[in-house]
Amino acid sequence: MKKMDSMEKAFLKIIYDYQKIIYRVCKTYRDSKEDQEDLFQEIVYQLWKSYPSFKGESKISSWMYQIALNTAIAIYRKPKLPVDYVEKMPEQMRTGIGHQVSENEERLFDALRILNDTEKALISLFLDDFTYREIAEITGITESNTGVRLNRIKTKLKNLLK
Amino acid sequence: MELDDLKSNWQNAGGYSKSESDLLNMTKLTHHPSLKKIRIKLIAETIFLVLFLVIYYDWFDGDKKPLYANIILATGLLFYIANDMIGYVAIAKPVSGLNLKLSITNYFARIKRLAIFSLIFSFLYSISLIVFFTSVIHFTREKRFLLLGLVIILFQLMFWSFRVWTRRIKSLQQQVKDFDTDDNK
Repeated sequence: MKKMDSMEKAFLKIIYDYQKIIYRVCKTYRDSKEDQEDLFQEIVYQLWKSYPSFKGESKISSWMYQIALNTAIAIYRKPKLPVDYVEKMPEQMRTGIGHQVSENEERLFDALRILNDTEKALISLFLDDFTYREIAEITGITESNTGVRLNRIKTKLKNLLK
Repeated sequence: MELDDLKSNWQNAGGYSKSESDLLNMTKLTHHPSLKKIRIKLIAETIFLVLFLVIYYDWFDGDKKPLYANIILATGLLFYIANDMIGYVAIAKPVSGLNLKLSITNYFARIKRLAIFSLIFSFLYSISLIVFFTSVIHFTREKRFLLLGLVIILFQLMFWSFRVWTRRIKSLQQQVKDFDTDDNK
């Protein structure tokens, strides 16, 4: 029981310190605040389940990204209902999970959500300063393919954000 | 936005909005957004089916039905319950590989297998109920029509279930394909 408590404490400390990673993955993979909140919970649950097998051989952020991205991609989303295009997003929608977000941040996430799930995973890791080798290890895509794909994604993003 | 702006916007996104106690709650199944509901449904369904298995012999005159009908019903029910439980475990654990590509590929294979078994066992379970309740019936023209109606409804339900699984499988298949594509070639 005592061992469990210390494990739980250590886990919570890590997740608290690195919760930005989960936030970014949720904002990238889900549109609505409610879906982002559900995914946040799902990711924390999956991290907790896989924590006993985390031996600390890789960086905490690598482990967290792998579980978070895996969960975001695999968990089933009900097909979206068609929505009418709104030119400007209402102010109350421009909030993240629990805090206000800047317009630039919102623009970035709006653009990221247009990419496919694999592209989202690659660019998320790139934006967090992972090297091509680390990205290849986390995703399972070869290092050279990672480079080619990232160049394409960066161009796509730049065009979307012009 | 330039690349450096993208990175800085990304790295500044998010705060410390969740407290440690919020996070602790999220590690509990009772707070899980979907697994909690699936588990309650699974427990309720299992209790109902096991109860049915215990009382059907007395309540629905199992002793007056042929042995084969009793065996088919019990087997159909047990396989259905087992498949439900295996399905729960498979859905609850989407992470199972050294990297994203392997994990999604494994998950895809697991969900595909689960879909096939779910459809087969749901079908067998429905057929076992029909066989049990019709095994000693003397069929008239009206009763045959009624049975035909039941079979049509059963196939309709199977078709809907097939469509839901197909949508799920296609989406995962696309993810696997995206990870497999080599842009160097």
